[in-house]
This record gives sequence, C-alpha cells and structure tokens, in this order.
Amino acid sequence: MTIDVPDNQPPMPLSPNEGTTRRIAVHGIMILLSALSIFPIYWMIVTSLRPENEIFSTLPWPSNPSLENYVFVLTRIPMLQMLVNTTIVATATAALQVLTGLLTAYALVRWRMRLAGLVHGLIALSWLVPFQVTMIPNYVLASRLGLLDTLTGLVVPNAVAAFAILLLYHSMRSFPTEILEAARIDGAKSWRILWQIVTPNMGAPIASLAIIAFISAWNEYFWPLLLSRKPENSVVQIGLQMFMTQEGNLWGPLMAAAALASLPILVIYLILQRHVIESFMKSGIR
Amino acid sequence: MLRRTTLKLMATLASVAMTPLGALAEMPAAIDKPVTISFYNYNLASASAGADATRELLAMFEKKFPNIKVETIAVPSNEIMSRVQADIVAGRQPDVAQLVFRDLIYIASDLGANALEDMVNPEELKAHLTGMIPQGLELGKVDGKTYGLAYTFSTPILYYNADLFKQAGLDPDNPPKTWTDVDAAGRAIKEKAGKNGFFPGAYGPVDGTFVYQAIVMSNGGKVRDGNKLTFADTNAADAVKMLRGMVESGAHAKIDVASPSDTFAAGNLGMFLYTSAVYGSYKKAAKDKFDLRMAPMPSFGEKPTAPTNSGSALYVFSKDPEKQRAAYELLKFLTSKEAYTVITSKIGYLPLRLDIVDDPNYLASWVKENPMFRANLKQLDHLTPNIAFPGPNYRQVEKMMMDSVREAVFGTGDPSAVLTAAQDEGQSLMP
Amino acid sequence: MTDIQADLARPLALARSPATEREQNVFTVLPWLYLAPALILLMMWTYVPLVQAFQLSFYQWNMLPTAPQRYVGLTNYQRLLALPEMRAALWNTLFYILGLFPMSVVIPLFVAIWTQDLTGRARTVYRALIFVPMIVAPVVAAVLWRWLLNEDQGLVTLGLEQLGFGRIGFLTDPKYALATLTWITGWKLIGFSTLLFSAANAGINPSYIEAARIDGATRWGIIRDLRLPLLSPTILLLSMMTILFGAQWSFAYINVLTNGGPLKSTTNIFYLLWEYGFQTLSAGWSSAAGMIAFAGFAVIAAGCLWLMKRFAVYDN
Repeated sequence: MTIDVPDNQPPMPLSPNEGTTRRIAVHGIMILLSALSIFPIYWMIVTSLRPENEIFSTLPWPSNPSLENYVFVLTRIPMLQMLVNTTIVATATAALQVLTGLLTAYALVRWRMRLAGLVHGLIALSWLVPFQVTMIPNYVLASRLGLLDTLTGLVVPNAVAAFAILLLYHSMRSFPTEILEAARIDGAKSWRILWQIVTPNMGAPIASLAIIAFISAWNEYFWPLLLSRKPENSVVQIGLQMFMTQEGNLWGPLMAAAALASLPILVIYLILQRHVIESFMKSGIR
Repeated sequence: MLRRTTLKLMATLASVAMTPLGALAEMPAAIDKPVTISFYNYNLASASAGADATRELLAMFEKKFPNIKVETIAVPSNEIMSRVQADIVAGRQPDVAQLVFRDLIYIASDLGANALEDMVNPEELKAHLTGMIPQGLELGKVDGKTYGLAYTFSTPILYYNADLFKQAGLDPDNPPKTWTDVDAAGRAIKEKAGKNGFFPGAYGPVDGTFVYQAIVMSNGGKVRDGNKLTFADTNAADAVKMLRGMVESGAHAKIDVASPSDTFAAGNLGMFLYTSAVYGSYKKAAKDKFDLRMAPMPSFGEKPTAPTNSGSALYVFSKDPEKQRAAYELLKFLTSKEAYTVITSKIGYLPLRLDIVDDPNYLASWVKENPMFRANLKQLDHLTPNIAFPGPNYRQVEKMMMDSVREAVFGTGDPSAVLTAAQDEGQSLMP
Repeated sequence: MTDIQADLARPLALARSPATEREQNVFTVLPWLYLAPALILLMMWTYVPLVQAFQLSFYQWNMLPTAPQRYVGLTNYQRLLALPEMRAALWNTLFYILGLFPMSVVIPLFVAIWTQDLTGRARTVYRALIFVPMIVAPVVAAVLWRWLLNEDQGLVTLGLEQLGFGRIGFLTDPKYALATLTWITGWKLIGFSTLLFSAANAGINPSYIEAARIDGATRWGIIRDLRLPLLSPTILLLSMMTILFGAQWSFAYINVLTNGGPLKSTTNIFYLLWEYGFQTLSAGWSSAAGMIAFAGFAVIAAGCLWLMKRFAVYDN
C-alpha cells in the first residue's frame, strides 16, 4: 500500500555525507517512535495467545500458541453481542455528531443572528464541563426517559459534540461565499444548499470527524459502565472490565478481550488508513 | 425562587415512582400470580466462578418458583452501592440487592431497606434463621433489627507459598502464628528467596476495610466507638505501627496495592492475608506452579485474633407486598442449605449453615477433598463484626481513615501523627 | 488559514460572518430550527445538569427523595478546599499538564520538522504506526501498561532490571507513579500530535522556504524564523488542548491503575471530584468539586484564548 499524501516540500539540498547521516538518524527516530507505539499492542496479542501456565513468560512469542483465552472470553461473556452493540453505538454516535454538527455549523455560517455569539459560546463552553459532574443527573434523566440498558441511552447524550460543531463550522466558513450566493440567487432553499452544495464539498472534514467520533464512541467507558445492567446489552469496554475481578485480573482472558475490543477498530484503520491520514491532513485540523 | 423550585422539582420527579415509607403492609403467604423482581448482584459482573454459581442458583430458584422472574442487574462491587442509590434517586425502586457490610448503616437509615422483622412474621423468620451462624446474623443488624441477611461470607486468612518457605529455610508445616513470626518469615523470604515477604490485602480500592479492621481488632483496637472515631487511639495505632515496622524491616512488601492478588498468584509473594473467598481462584492459579497453603490470621502475641468478615448481605427494598414476598423467597433460597452447598463449593465463601459441612447430602465430600478449608471454618468461632460508619458522610470518613492508614504504613511521617490528623478531620464529618 | 482555536475565539470576537447583510435585522425562525437539535441536546444533557450542580453545591443532600436537603452555604467548598488531598490534587493537575507538554507538543513538533524530507513508503509506514495508540481505548491502554510495568512480572521492569536499573515500582513508588501515568497519557498523544504537525508543516507555502534559502538562510534559521512562526497556530492549539484537557485525559488511567495512590501521588482534581462526589453520591460535595474544576478551567481557557489572539501568526 503506498500513499501519496500531497507534499509540496522540496527536499533540502544536502551534501551527500550529511544526507546519509541524517537519513539514518531520521529513520532511527521514526523506528523508535513506531516501536514505542505498537509494542504494547504486539505484547497484548502475544500474551493473549499464551496458555495459562505460560502467561508470565517473557519469550517474544509463545512456545505453544493457543486460542484458549479467546475461547474462554467468547464463552464466558456475550462478547460477540457486545461487539455488535459497540458497532451500532459507535456508528450511530458518529452519524449523529456529523448531522447535528452540520446543521449547527450551517446555521451559524449561513445566517447572521443577534445571539450567534451566545450560541457559539455555549457550544464551546460545553466542552469544558467535566463529565463527572453531569453523570448522575444524566443517569436520572436517562432512567426517566426509559433509556437504561438500551443502546439509545448510550448514543443520545453523545449525539452533540462541541468539537464536531467547531470543526465543521471552521471548514464551512472557508467555503466560497460566491457559490452560496449564486445558489441563493437561483432560488435554492437553505435546506437544499446545505445538502446539495455544502455537504458534498466537505468530504474531508466530515470523514475525519466521523473517524474521530467513531473511535471515541467505541472507546467510551464510564457512561456505559454506569448505564449497563446486563452484559448482553452492553459494550466491549465493559466486557473487558469483567475480567478485572476482585480475585485479581484474569490476564490471559483480559488480553484476549482487549485484543477483541481493539482488533475491529485496528483492522478498519489499516484498511482505511490512507484515507484516515489524508483526511486529517486535508481537513482543517492543523 | 428558581433555586428552590428546581430542587423541589427534582425531588418530586425523583419520588414519583416511590410509595411513601411507613408501616409496611402485610405480605401475602405465597405467590400465585407472576411477579418480577430486580436483583442487584456483583458476582455477576465479573467473568468468574462467582458469576457461574450465581446463575446456577438463580436458575434453580426460578425453577422452584415459576411465578417469580428475577431480573438481574450486574454491577462491579465497588460501584454497586452507587448504582442502587442512583436507581432509587431515579425512581426505579430496587427489590433485592447484594451489598457489602460497610454500607450497612447507611442502607438501613437512608436507602430505606426493609427490616426483616417488620416484613416477615416472627415464626416464619425464626424458622428460616434457625441453623444459621448467630455471629453471622448479628452482622446484618442495626439497632437490633435485621436489615441485611448475611449471604456470601468470608474472613481474612493467611495464604502462603510453601515453596518460598522452603527456599527461605522456613518450615512450611509450621506457618507463622503471631505477627512477630510473620516479620521473621517475611524477612527470611525477602533475603533468602529474593521474593516479596508479606502483604495484607488491606489497602486496595476494592477490598474495603475488613482486613485492616481485623488486624486492628486483633490488637484490641476499634475504628470507632459510637459516634467517636477511635482509629488513632493506642491499640489501633499500634497495630498500624506494627505494619509500618514490617515495611521498615523489609518483611512487608511494597507492591501495587491494587494487585497483590496477581503477585501472589504469580508466585512472587510469600504470605498474603486476604479474604478466604478467593481460595478457589488461587488454587487454580497455583496448580503445577507452587504449593499453596492456608493458615489462620496471625495474632498479636497471646491476644486472640478477631477476624472480621468480608462479603455481602442481601437487602430487600421492595415496597409492594407481592414483591416483598417474592424477594423474601429469593432471600430464603439463597441462604438455604442447597444454595450454600453451591456457594461454598463453587465460589469459596463460607457456609453460614455449619450443619451442612459434614452432611453427605451437602458439603461433606467437598470438604474432604479440600481439608484446608477447615482453617477457615475455625475462625468463625471468634468472628468479630466489621464496623460500619454512620451518617451522610460515612464514605468520606472511611476514605480519610484508609488514606491515613496507607500514609502511616508506607509514608515517611510519624504514623500516630498521621492517623490522629485524619481522625480529627474525619470526626468533623461524623453525625 | 483558520483553525479550531480561532473558532473557540469566536464568541469573544463575534461577527465577521460571511453571510449577507440582507437578513440582518429580521428575526427568522429558520436558523433556530437548524440550531434546535444541538441546542436542545446540549441543554438537556449538559447545561441543565450544570445549573443544578451549581445549586446543589450549596446543599448537603444525598439526592434521595426521602432525604432532607439542607442548605449549608459554602460549607461544601470549605470542606473540599480544606482536604489535605486538595493541595496534592491541584499540584498533580499542574504536573500532569506540564508533564504532557514534551509528549503532546515538543517531541512531535521536532519529529515532524525533522522528518519532513522522508518520502514514499517509509513515511507511510511510520505515520500509520505512530497513529495506532490514538485509536486504542484508554482502558485497554491502562491494562496493557499495567501488564508491562508490573513490578514482579512486567516485561519493562524485568528488562530494566537486566540493564542494571534495579526494580522500579512504576505504579507503586510515589516517586515514579505520577510520571508513569503522565507517560501513559502521553503515549496516546505522541502519534496524533506528530501527525497534526506533519500536516501543518506540509501545508507551509514552499515559496517562503525557497525565498529564504535563496537569501542564504541556514537550515536552523529557516526553522526558527519561518517554520516555527508558521506552525504557531498548531503549537498553540495543541498546547491549549493539553492545558485544558490533559488532566481529564489522565483520569481514565488514574481510575483504572492507581485510584489516586500510592499515597495520593497520582490523584488530580478530576479524580478527587470522582472520589468525593460521584462515588459517595453526596450531591453537595460532588457539585462543589465540579464547580471548582469547571470554573478553574473556564478561566484558564479564557486566558489561553487571549494569549492566542495576541501571539498566533496566521499565514493570510
């Protein structure tokens, strides 16, 4: 897989000697950083493949790789159901954050309102409210709305994100005004302008936002922990937690569960990584 | 005023689903139409033997009472109390909950648990309680009434690694009896075997206060007396100083307070004082790796030990008489002879009905295969109730106490001064 | 080039909207319909609870409908501020933030500049790899590092012992625990920050560099006089994110790994809020702690925005 992220930097002219030394040093640093980044993941997978009596071994690869930990995880807790649930929750959260983000950003860009400053302030400030403060009131609210133990309950409180709105707002503001103006003169309604003109041209920011929202919804832990009542209605991070018991951690199954909880997202990342990185670079997150 | 109306609104909304407290209506003698009760349980929240055994028990129960459906809510043990309370706040009245003893007073006074004496007629209650260990029943009482029915139950026990004892030149058949012995053995293991000597499961986030209280009470101390905190008083403080002394001598390990279990299971800790409930999982972990043994908790010289209990009691919160009956049937079943046979043999908690231990219909064969379990049963004789804290800020007080104990044992300051400072501060939060 | 921080600054700067002037003084319902979903959800799930928390911070109440609410004025705040842990928590919050800077800003910035002339496949592979920690769940990261750093069985600990460093109690020694948690928090950020800096660096107009080079500027001179100033929006953005959210990011690790210990060495303001508020379900304490954290960071945010408006260089 090769990627050609547009890069308009001409390489520095270097003397041949300096070039080699520098290149080695650069590769050295990048290899070190890459190793630091993935070694724990590698170790997780290796540990998850170790049979129980080898669990504390430090060999780089298990002498008898075994899937017993995975079997244990899949039979002891409804892991597959949890993976399905997590996928639904993460997808819905990402979609809703994009949707509410687009609507809000569009309104702020398209109209000049007297209270725009206040609205903007409320949105930005909501980012700073610690979730520890709102958790209990939100739990009570979710309970009244009948959202306990439902996937909807895991999605709805996260359907709006200040980050999403601000990101889209910023990208939309750099959208050429003339095009909007032309469409308006042609008699296009604001709704149509949003979906047929603005949105199709915001592929990159929408993609990177969706990715970030999906990842963070997938990784969400504290809210599902509070809301979860039955394992089969819960998400993978809670599944992980079930192997950290009072009697100590069940390390083998815990690593297998961690691998199962991370692999889907790692695979999606590997397949899409070119787009992920590209959209990060193109979108306004700079 | 906006403030007051909002608060009132919150309170009203929260109380919509609640019927007023007060005299309880008589509950029916039997369940003749289908009823669903909720059961908050922490054993179900982990993928452990406890979860399997609990599921097995509930299946047995539902088979026996086809009209009663038990809806389980699985919450980890350190969160379960908050969850029960949050659900009461949200107007979802829980029916039965498995909760630990440290919250007893609060559960009775603030969460509105039902006293069994108020809910069940005296003969029926007496018939069920007969045969249960009286010291165990005593633990669930507040002001003479039973709010929590002792359910899963364990005491601190000294697990030790006989292989490390041998490596350190100690006699594994003669485990330490007093703290002086523990100190000596701990140092020997540290110096000769190069492994961690001793550690009590007393400082971690999930183990509450029972191991610490057992040590304190074995030295004649107490953590509180009425509404007065006494954990910095002489005997209690001396117990903590003893632990500090062992830290300084090297006998007491300095390991992650959240995971001593892992260290012991991996064979890197000589002696571990912790709940007898985890025997099952250590047995599995030690298999083919090291020789696991158990001994009663150590004493202060000639003083008798005072093992307190960890574990949980069952509380009933139902207000509806039908549900109360269903809840009480669940309680009865979960503390029956059949249930304790499962609980003891599959999880490792103590049977609160001692007559089943040698009964061939129940535990006799299992106890024969696991003779070491008797060390655990022996401690039941001098079982001492774990002391819970009263008042609305009891959790904060308990936290201040445990923080100061950690500071006194592992820190550099004077242990007495550390404990006294925390005691003074905690006292201002007592009722 | 505009940036997120510029958007954050918007409420202070107001206006400058590209919309037409025609509708200026006419109140229209339409925009509010667009805004409604987000505003309603924000009100429901964030602001109403926040206002309630503000009120509750003056009461002693365990939230139970049957329990009385007692107005206690500022007592909750006084008690919290008097906690011996509070001082530790505030200092630690500062340490977390400062400790994260090398990993969220300094190292990524220099790596991005230094590796800019890597091309092709190698760069692709590196970028793909260093981004991985960003997508790992905090709980998974916590578990992985606990496993690697365990004092008796951890690979890293054993490795360092082989190298003659002795056994380091990464999570058990108060001397190291805070640094360990900061490292774990930072581990998840390095790749992400590097990527952002690389993107920003790649976006610098090459004609500037060319011009400087023709003028005889040295490599370091170009970095100092051109690249760093042009990267300043990204530097400021990531710095502000670190300051505002660094302590919050470390919360998951404190909760899973140390519970604030050993000896309170790793607790921070958010964990204190969690322990004394959420876990004890005393609405007064938790609300007061929440207010302290919220107000504190809101003031800091305002300060950051002011600084940013003064010092950021935009390539307009």
